[in-house]
Amino acid sequence: MVEALIKRNLKIHPQLNFPDYKSSILRAPKNKKISFSSTSTEFSGPVFNKNILGNLDNDLTLNFSKNNILPIGHKIIVFGKISDQFCNPIEGALIEIWQANAAGKYLHHNDNNSAPIDPNFAGCGRSITSSKGYYEFITIQPGPYPYPNRGIEWRPMHIHFSVFGKSFGQRLITQMYFEGDPLINSCPMVNSIPDEKAKQSLISTLDTSRSNTQKLLSYKFDIILRGTNQTFFENRKEGL
Amino acid sequence: MSNSKAVLDETPFQTAGPFLHIGCLPNAINIEGVFDTDLGVKPFANKDYDKFITITGSVFDGDGKALDDIMLETWQSDENGVYSPECGFARFVPDSLTKKFNLFTLKPGFINDIDGKAQSPHILLSISSRGLNMTLNTRIYFEGDDLTSDPLLSTVKISRNDISSLVAKKIDEDIFLFDIFLQGDKETIFLDI
Ligand SMILES: [Fe+3]
Repeated sequence: MVEALIKRNLKIHPQLNFPDYKSSILRAPKNKKISFSSTSTEFSGPVFNKNILGNLDNDLTLNFSKNNILPIGHKIIVFGKISDQFCNPIEGALIEIWQANAAGKYLHHNDNNSAPIDPNFAGCGRSITSSKGYYEFITIQPGPYPYPNRGIEWRPMHIHFSVFGKSFGQRLITQMYFEGDPLINSCPMVNSIPDEKAKQSLISTLDTSRSNTQKLLSYKFDIILRGTNQTFFENRKEGL
Repeated sequence: MSNSKAVLDETPFQTAGPFLHIGCLPNAINIEGVFDTDLGVKPFANKDYDKFITITGSVFDGDGKALDDIMLETWQSDENGVYSPECGFARFVPDSLTKKFNLFTLKPGFINDIDGKAQSPHILLSISSRGLNMTLNTRIYFEGDDLTSDPLLSTVKISRNDISSLVAKKIDEDIFLFDIFLQGDKETIFLDI
Protein backbone atom coordinates (compact mmCIF):
# COMPACT_ATOMS: atom_id res chain seq x y z
CA MET A 1 0.00 0.00 0.00
CA VAL A 2 1.16 3.54 -0.72
CA GLU A 3 -0.48 6.82 0.08
CA ALA A 4 -1.83 9.16 -2.58
CA LEU A 5 -3.89 12.34 -2.50
CA ILE A 6 -7.59 11.85 -3.05
CA LYS A 7 -9.14 13.51 -6.08
CA ARG A 8 -10.09 17.14 -5.65
CA ASN A 9 -13.85 17.89 -5.80
CA LEU A 10 -13.86 20.90 -8.14
CA LYS A 11 -17.57 21.54 -7.46
CA ILE A 12 -16.82 23.11 -4.07
CA HIS A 13 -14.12 25.41 -5.50
CA PRO A 14 -14.66 28.75 -7.27
CA GLN A 15 -15.15 28.89 -11.01
CA LEU A 16 -12.09 30.24 -12.79
CA ASN A 17 -14.19 31.89 -15.50
CA PHE A 18 -16.38 34.23 -13.50
CA PRO A 19 -16.95 37.50 -15.42
CA ASP A 20 -18.64 39.21 -12.42
CA TYR A 21 -15.06 39.33 -11.11
CA LYS A 22 -13.64 41.43 -13.91
CA SER A 23 -9.97 40.53 -13.42
CA SER A 24 -10.77 36.90 -14.19
CA ILE A 25 -11.85 37.70 -17.77
CA LEU A 26 -8.35 37.98 -19.22
CA ARG A 27 -6.64 35.61 -16.79
CA ALA A 28 -8.81 32.50 -16.38
CA PRO A 29 -7.79 29.68 -18.75
CA LYS A 30 -10.59 28.56 -21.11
CA ASN A 31 -9.66 24.88 -21.41
CA LYS A 32 -10.51 22.24 -18.86
CA LYS A 33 -7.75 21.22 -16.46
CA ILE A 34 -6.26 17.78 -17.05
CA SER A 35 -6.94 15.27 -14.26
CA PHE A 36 -4.49 12.46 -13.54
CA SER A 37 -3.52 10.04 -10.79
CA SER A 38 -1.36 11.84 -8.28
CA THR A 39 2.34 10.98 -8.25
CA SER A 40 5.16 11.46 -5.76
CA THR A 41 5.54 15.01 -7.13
CA GLU A 42 2.19 16.11 -5.71
CA PHE A 43 2.35 13.86 -2.67
CA SER A 44 5.67 15.27 -1.48
CA GLY A 45 6.15 18.90 -0.52
CA PRO A 46 8.26 21.36 1.40
CA VAL A 47 8.05 21.24 5.18
CA PHE A 48 8.94 24.34 7.15
CA ASN A 49 10.70 24.13 10.47
CA LYS A 50 9.53 26.19 13.45
CA ASN A 51 13.00 27.76 13.59
CA ILE A 52 12.11 29.99 10.61
CA LEU A 53 9.63 31.81 12.86
CA GLY A 54 10.44 34.90 14.88
CA ASN A 55 8.74 35.46 18.25
CA LEU A 56 6.27 37.99 16.88
CA ASP A 57 5.53 36.40 13.51
CA ASN A 58 1.96 35.57 14.57
CA ASP A 59 1.31 38.87 16.37
CA LEU A 60 0.53 41.47 13.71
CA THR A 61 -0.14 44.11 16.36
CA LEU A 62 3.52 44.01 17.42
CA ASN A 63 5.58 42.67 14.53
CA PHE A 64 5.78 46.05 12.76
CA SER A 65 5.14 48.43 15.64
CA LYS A 66 7.61 51.23 16.31
CA ASN A 67 8.47 51.98 19.95
CA ASN A 68 5.73 49.58 21.07
CA ILE A 69 2.96 51.79 19.69
CA LEU A 70 -0.01 49.59 18.81
CA PRO A 71 -1.67 49.86 15.42
CA ILE A 72 -5.05 51.62 15.26
CA GLY A 73 -8.16 49.44 15.39
CA HIS A 74 -9.78 46.58 17.26
CA LYS A 75 -7.30 43.97 18.39
CA ILE A 76 -8.66 40.47 17.64
CA ILE A 77 -7.63 36.84 17.89
CA VAL A 78 -7.99 34.60 14.85
CA PHE A 79 -7.52 30.93 15.64
CA GLY A 80 -8.50 27.49 14.43
CA LYS A 81 -7.50 24.00 13.50
CA ILE A 82 -6.10 22.55 10.30
CA SER A 83 -7.13 19.01 9.49
CA ASP A 84 -7.45 16.84 6.43
CA GLN A 85 -10.67 15.54 4.89
CA PHE A 86 -10.56 12.49 7.18
CA CYS A 87 -10.44 14.72 10.31
CA ASN A 88 -6.76 14.04 10.97
CA PRO A 89 -5.15 17.16 12.48
CA ILE A 90 -2.18 18.44 10.46
CA GLU A 91 0.86 19.23 12.54
CA GLY A 92 3.58 21.50 11.15
CA ALA A 93 1.44 23.22 8.51
CA LEU A 94 2.72 26.68 7.57
CA ILE A 95 0.10 29.44 7.47
CA GLU A 96 0.93 32.83 6.02
CA ILE A 97 -1.65 35.62 6.26
CA TRP A 98 -1.95 39.13 4.86
CA GLN A 99 -4.60 41.79 5.26
CA ALA A 100 -5.57 45.45 5.07
CA ASN A 101 -5.31 47.68 8.15
CA ALA A 102 -8.30 48.97 10.14
CA ALA A 103 -8.92 51.64 7.49
CA GLY A 104 -8.99 49.10 4.65
CA LYS A 105 -5.53 50.02 3.30
CA TYR A 106 -2.76 47.58 2.34
CA LEU A 107 0.89 48.43 2.84
CA HIS A 108 1.53 47.90 -0.87
CA HIS A 109 2.67 50.16 -3.72
CA ASN A 110 -0.22 48.99 -5.91
CA ASP A 111 -2.96 49.88 -3.41
CA ASN A 112 -4.59 53.05 -4.77
CA ASN A 113 -7.25 53.32 -2.07
CA SER A 114 -7.04 56.79 -0.49
CA ALA A 115 -7.34 55.45 3.09
CA PRO A 116 -4.34 56.07 5.39
CA ILE A 117 -1.54 53.57 5.99
CA ASP A 118 -0.80 52.74 9.61
CA PRO A 119 2.93 53.17 10.34
CA ASN A 120 2.72 50.43 12.99
CA PHE A 121 0.98 47.79 10.88
CA ALA A 122 2.43 45.78 7.99
CA GLY A 123 -0.43 43.28 7.75
CA CYS A 124 1.64 40.10 7.43
CA GLY A 125 1.98 37.17 9.79
CA ARG A 126 2.85 33.50 9.79
CA SER A 127 2.53 30.52 12.06
CA ILE A 128 3.12 26.76 12.11
CA THR A 129 0.42 24.46 13.51
CA SER A 130 0.88 22.63 16.81
CA SER A 131 0.86 18.85 17.24
CA LYS A 132 -2.94 18.94 17.33
CA GLY A 133 -3.20 21.15 14.24
CA TYR A 134 -3.96 24.46 15.99
CA TYR A 135 -2.82 27.94 15.01
CA GLU A 136 -3.47 31.41 16.41
CA PHE A 137 -2.88 34.98 15.27
CA ILE A 138 -3.27 38.26 17.10
CA THR A 139 -4.14 41.03 14.71
CA ILE A 140 -6.29 44.09 13.98
CA GLN A 141 -9.81 43.79 12.56
CA PRO A 142 -9.28 44.57 8.84
CA GLY A 143 -11.51 47.23 7.31
CA PRO A 144 -13.62 46.70 4.17
CA TYR A 145 -12.24 48.50 1.11
CA PRO A 146 -13.41 49.76 -2.29
CA TYR A 147 -11.90 48.41 -5.50
CA PRO A 148 -12.66 48.86 -9.19
CA ASN A 149 -14.73 45.98 -10.60
CA ARG A 150 -18.14 46.66 -12.18
CA GLY A 151 -17.73 50.27 -11.16
CA ILE A 152 -16.56 50.65 -7.58
CA GLU A 153 -17.40 47.70 -5.34
CA TRP A 154 -16.54 46.91 -1.73
CA ARG A 155 -14.69 43.86 -0.48
CA PRO A 156 -16.07 42.43 2.75
CA MET A 157 -13.63 42.40 5.67
CA HIS A 158 -11.22 39.53 5.06
CA ILE A 159 -7.84 38.02 5.79
CA HIS A 160 -5.89 36.24 3.05
CA PHE A 161 -4.55 32.79 3.97
CA SER A 162 -1.83 30.71 2.32
CA VAL A 163 -1.38 27.19 3.68
CA PHE A 164 1.23 24.46 3.13
CA GLY A 165 0.32 21.01 4.46
CA LYS A 166 2.54 17.97 3.99
CA SER A 167 2.04 17.62 0.24
CA PHE A 168 2.33 20.22 -2.49
CA GLY A 169 -1.04 18.91 -3.69
CA GLN A 170 -2.57 20.13 -0.40
CA ARG A 171 -1.43 23.71 -1.05
CA LEU A 172 -4.29 26.16 -0.46
CA ILE A 173 -4.70 29.91 -0.94
CA THR A 174 -7.98 31.33 0.32
CA GLN A 175 -9.63 34.15 2.27
CA MET A 176 -11.35 34.21 5.65
CA TYR A 177 -14.44 36.38 6.15
CA PHE A 178 -16.17 37.58 9.33
CA GLU A 179 -19.53 36.39 10.61
CA GLY A 180 -22.29 38.93 10.09
CA ASP A 181 -20.55 41.11 7.49
CA PRO A 182 -23.31 42.36 5.12
CA LEU A 183 -20.82 42.75 2.24
CA ILE A 184 -20.16 38.99 1.97
CA ASN A 185 -23.31 38.16 -0.01
CA SER A 186 -22.67 40.65 -2.80
CA CYS A 187 -18.96 39.87 -3.23
CA PRO A 188 -18.23 38.35 -6.68
CA MET A 189 -15.11 36.60 -5.38
CA VAL A 190 -17.19 34.83 -2.73
CA ASN A 191 -19.95 34.16 -5.25
CA SER A 192 -17.52 32.54 -7.70
CA ILE A 193 -18.00 29.51 -5.41
CA PRO A 194 -21.26 27.92 -6.62
CA ASP A 195 -21.78 25.71 -3.56
CA GLU A 196 -23.54 27.47 -0.67
CA LYS A 197 -22.07 25.27 2.06
CA ALA A 198 -18.56 25.73 0.68
CA LYS A 199 -19.09 29.50 0.67
CA GLN A 200 -20.21 29.42 4.32
CA SER A 201 -17.08 27.47 5.27
CA LEU A 202 -14.99 30.60 4.57
CA ILE A 203 -16.84 32.66 7.18
CA SER A 204 -15.18 32.66 10.60
CA THR A 205 -17.42 32.55 13.65
CA LEU A 206 -17.29 34.78 16.69
CA ASP A 207 -16.23 32.72 19.71
CA THR A 208 -17.88 34.60 22.57
CA SER A 209 -16.65 32.34 25.37
CA ARG A 210 -13.09 33.01 24.45
CA SER A 211 -13.75 36.70 23.66
CA ASN A 212 -15.13 37.25 27.15
CA THR A 213 -12.30 35.56 29.01
CA GLN A 214 -9.52 37.13 26.96
CA LYS A 215 -11.19 40.54 26.56
CA LEU A 216 -10.52 40.41 22.83
CA LEU A 217 -12.98 39.45 20.10
CA SER A 218 -11.98 35.98 18.92
CA TYR A 219 -12.82 34.50 15.55
CA LYS A 220 -12.56 30.79 14.82
CA PHE A 221 -11.60 29.63 11.34
CA ASP A 222 -10.97 25.92 10.74
CA ILE A 223 -9.30 24.81 7.52
CA ILE A 224 -9.64 21.46 5.76
CA LEU A 225 -6.86 20.33 3.42
CA ARG A 226 -7.04 17.38 1.04
CA GLY A 227 -6.88 13.91 2.50
CA THR A 228 -4.76 10.97 1.48
CA ASN A 229 -5.90 7.47 0.72
CA GLN A 230 -3.97 4.26 0.70
CA THR A 231 -3.72 2.86 -2.79
CA PHE A 232 -2.72 -0.67 -3.70
CA PHE A 233 -0.38 -1.19 -6.63
CA GLU A 234 -0.56 -4.72 -8.07
CA ASN A 235 2.82 -4.68 -9.76
CA ARG A 236 4.59 -3.29 -6.77
CA LYS A 237 8.07 -4.65 -6.23
CA GLU A 238 8.79 -6.53 -3.01
CA GLY A 239 10.09 -4.32 -0.22
CA LEU A 240 8.73 -1.02 -1.51
CA MET B 1 -8.42 1.22 -5.45
CA SER B 2 -9.45 3.60 -2.69
CA ASN B 3 -10.45 2.22 0.66
CA SER B 4 -12.33 5.01 2.39
CA LYS B 5 -14.54 7.97 1.64
CA ALA B 6 -13.71 11.53 2.65
CA VAL B 7 -15.95 12.81 5.41
CA LEU B 8 -15.24 16.52 5.02
CA ASP B 9 -15.08 18.87 2.04
CA GLU B 10 -11.83 20.68 1.39
CA THR B 11 -11.79 24.41 2.22
CA PRO B 12 -12.38 26.25 -1.08
CA PHE B 13 -9.81 28.48 -2.76
CA GLN B 14 -10.13 32.23 -3.16
CA THR B 15 -8.00 34.54 -5.26
CA ALA B 16 -4.64 35.57 -3.78
CA GLY B 17 -5.45 39.11 -4.95
CA PRO B 18 -3.02 41.82 -6.01
CA PHE B 19 -1.29 42.24 -2.65
CA LEU B 20 -0.07 38.70 -2.03
CA HIS B 21 3.53 39.90 -1.66
CA ILE B 22 2.68 41.32 1.78
CA GLY B 23 2.18 37.83 3.19
CA CYS B 24 4.37 35.72 0.93
CA LEU B 25 7.29 37.95 -0.13
CA PRO B 26 7.28 40.98 2.19
CA ASN B 27 11.01 41.68 1.89
CA ALA B 28 10.63 41.81 -1.90
CA ILE B 29 8.31 44.83 -1.55
CA ASN B 30 10.47 46.49 1.12
CA ILE B 31 8.43 45.41 4.14
CA GLU B 32 11.56 44.77 6.13
CA GLY B 33 12.09 43.69 9.69
CA VAL B 34 9.04 41.43 10.04
CA PHE B 35 10.36 38.14 8.58
CA ASP B 36 14.15 37.54 8.41
CA THR B 37 14.00 36.27 4.85
CA ASP B 38 11.34 35.50 2.29
CA LEU B 39 10.74 31.77 1.85
CA GLY B 40 11.88 29.98 -1.29
CA VAL B 41 14.53 32.49 -2.35
CA LYS B 42 17.00 29.62 -2.91
CA PRO B 43 15.54 26.19 -3.74
CA PHE B 44 18.83 24.34 -3.02
CA ALA B 45 20.93 26.49 -0.70
CA ASN B 46 23.53 23.78 -0.02
CA LYS B 47 24.10 22.51 -3.54
CA ASP B 48 26.89 23.28 -5.97
CA TYR B 49 25.90 26.18 -8.23
CA ASP B 50 28.05 24.77 -11.08
CA LYS B 51 25.29 22.30 -11.81
CA PHE B 52 22.47 24.84 -11.83
CA ILE B 53 20.30 25.80 -14.78
CA THR B 54 18.25 28.94 -15.39
CA ILE B 55 14.62 28.73 -16.43
CA THR B 56 13.30 32.03 -17.75
CA GLY B 57 9.99 33.13 -19.19
CA SER B 58 6.91 35.32 -18.87
CA VAL B 59 3.27 34.79 -17.99
CA PHE B 60 0.88 36.27 -20.58
CA ASP B 61 -2.79 37.17 -20.14
CA GLY B 62 -5.51 36.93 -22.81
CA ASP B 63 -4.40 40.24 -24.33
CA GLY B 64 -0.85 38.97 -24.70
CA LYS B 65 0.33 41.25 -21.94
CA ALA B 66 3.20 39.95 -19.78
CA LEU B 67 2.17 40.10 -16.12
CA ASP B 68 4.23 41.15 -13.14
CA ASP B 69 1.66 41.17 -10.30
CA ILE B 70 1.70 37.39 -9.91
CA MET B 71 3.49 34.88 -7.71
CA LEU B 72 5.14 31.72 -9.01
CA GLU B 73 6.03 28.73 -6.86
CA THR B 74 7.93 25.62 -7.87
CA TRP B 75 8.43 22.21 -6.29
CA GLN B 76 10.94 19.70 -7.61
CA SER B 77 13.28 16.81 -6.90
CA ASP B 78 17.06 17.06 -6.78
CA GLU B 79 19.39 15.96 -9.60
CA ASN B 80 18.91 12.30 -8.57
CA GLY B 81 15.12 12.45 -8.70
CA VAL B 82 14.75 12.49 -4.93
CA TYR B 83 12.22 14.70 -3.14
CA SER B 84 13.16 15.97 0.29
CA PRO B 85 11.05 18.29 2.46
CA GLU B 86 13.97 20.64 3.25
CA CYS B 87 14.77 21.69 -0.31
CA GLY B 88 13.37 22.01 -3.81
CA PHE B 89 10.81 24.75 -3.15
CA ALA B 90 11.11 28.18 -4.79
CA ARG B 91 8.92 31.26 -4.77
CA PHE B 92 9.48 34.21 -7.12
CA VAL B 93 7.90 37.02 -9.11
CA PRO B 94 8.61 38.37 -12.61
CA ASP B 95 10.87 41.42 -12.82
CA SER B 96 8.73 44.58 -12.92
CA LEU B 97 10.69 46.06 -15.86
CA THR B 98 11.42 43.05 -18.10
CA LYS B 99 8.30 41.06 -16.96
CA LYS B 100 10.50 37.95 -17.03
CA PHE B 101 11.01 35.49 -14.21
CA ASN B 102 14.30 33.67 -13.64
CA LEU B 103 14.49 30.45 -11.69
CA PHE B 104 18.06 29.41 -10.84
CA THR B 105 17.91 25.78 -9.76
CA LEU B 106 19.14 22.21 -10.17
CA LYS B 107 17.89 20.30 -13.16
CA PRO B 108 15.74 17.55 -11.61
CA GLY B 109 16.49 13.88 -12.33
CA PHE B 110 14.28 11.01 -13.48
CA ILE B 111 11.91 10.07 -10.66
CA ASN B 112 11.28 6.43 -9.81
CA ASP B 113 7.79 6.38 -8.38
CA ILE B 114 6.76 3.80 -5.83
CA ASP B 115 4.46 2.10 -8.34
CA GLY B 116 7.55 1.27 -10.42
CA LYS B 117 6.87 3.85 -13.15
CA ALA B 118 9.57 6.38 -14.01
CA GLN B 119 8.64 10.03 -14.45
CA SER B 120 10.70 12.21 -16.77
CA PRO B 121 12.51 15.12 -15.10
CA HIS B 122 10.03 17.89 -14.34
CA ILE B 123 9.20 20.78 -12.03
CA LEU B 124 5.72 21.45 -10.63
CA LEU B 125 4.85 25.13 -11.15
CA SER B 126 1.98 27.03 -9.57
CA ILE B 127 0.69 30.51 -10.38
CA SER B 128 -1.34 32.67 -7.99
CA SER B 129 -2.62 36.16 -8.74
CA ARG B 130 -5.40 38.69 -8.91
CA GLY B 131 -8.03 37.39 -11.33
CA LEU B 132 -7.28 33.72 -10.61
CA ASN B 133 -9.96 32.33 -8.31
CA MET B 134 -7.80 29.24 -7.83
CA THR B 135 -4.07 28.74 -8.02
CA LEU B 136 -3.12 27.24 -11.40
CA ASN B 137 -0.74 24.30 -11.67
CA THR B 138 1.33 23.02 -14.55
CA ARG B 139 4.60 21.14 -15.07
CA ILE B 140 7.88 22.12 -16.69
CA TYR B 141 9.53 19.29 -18.66
CA PHE B 142 12.79 19.78 -20.56
CA GLU B 143 13.59 19.68 -24.26
CA GLY B 144 16.25 17.03 -24.90
CA ASP B 145 15.03 14.59 -22.23
CA ASP B 146 13.29 11.31 -23.02
CA LEU B 147 9.61 12.18 -22.60
CA THR B 148 8.14 9.09 -24.27
CA SER B 149 7.21 7.05 -21.21
CA ASP B 150 6.25 9.72 -18.69
CA PRO B 151 2.88 8.75 -17.12
CA LEU B 152 1.47 12.28 -16.88
CA LEU B 153 2.43 13.20 -20.46
CA SER B 154 0.80 9.95 -21.64
CA THR B 155 -2.42 11.00 -19.88
CA VAL B 156 -2.27 14.49 -21.38
CA LYS B 157 -1.81 13.07 -24.89
CA ILE B 158 -5.18 11.28 -24.64
CA SER B 159 -7.08 14.59 -24.66
CA ARG B 160 -4.60 17.07 -26.20
CA ASN B 161 -2.49 16.45 -29.27
CA ASP B 162 0.05 19.15 -28.50
CA ILE B 163 2.06 18.85 -25.28
CA SER B 164 4.66 21.47 -26.24
CA SER B 165 3.33 24.00 -23.70
CA LEU B 166 4.66 21.69 -20.96
CA VAL B 167 8.19 21.49 -22.37
CA ALA B 168 10.83 24.17 -21.69
CA LYS B 169 12.89 25.02 -24.78
CA LYS B 170 16.64 24.75 -24.50
CA ILE B 171 18.02 28.12 -25.62
CA ASP B 172 21.59 27.67 -24.41
CA GLU B 173 23.73 25.05 -22.64
CA ASP B 174 22.08 25.60 -19.26
CA ILE B 175 19.28 28.05 -20.06
CA PHE B 176 15.68 27.03 -20.72
CA LEU B 177 12.72 29.14 -21.87
CA PHE B 178 9.26 28.45 -20.43
CA ASP B 179 6.57 30.98 -21.36
CA ILE B 180 3.10 30.54 -19.90
CA PHE B 181 -0.09 31.57 -21.70
CA LEU B 182 -3.18 31.89 -19.51
CA GLN B 183 -5.49 32.10 -22.56
CA GLY B 184 -5.53 32.12 -26.36
CA ASP B 185 -4.23 29.91 -29.19
CA LYS B 186 -1.17 29.00 -27.18
CA GLU B 187 -2.99 28.45 -23.86
CA THR B 188 -0.78 26.42 -21.52
CA ILE B 189 -2.04 23.04 -20.34
CA PHE B 190 -3.04 23.33 -16.68
CA LEU B 191 -3.37 20.37 -14.33
CA ASP B 192 -5.89 19.36 -11.72
CA ILE B 193 -3.20 18.22 -9.29
FE1 LIG C 1 -7.73 41.61 -0.01
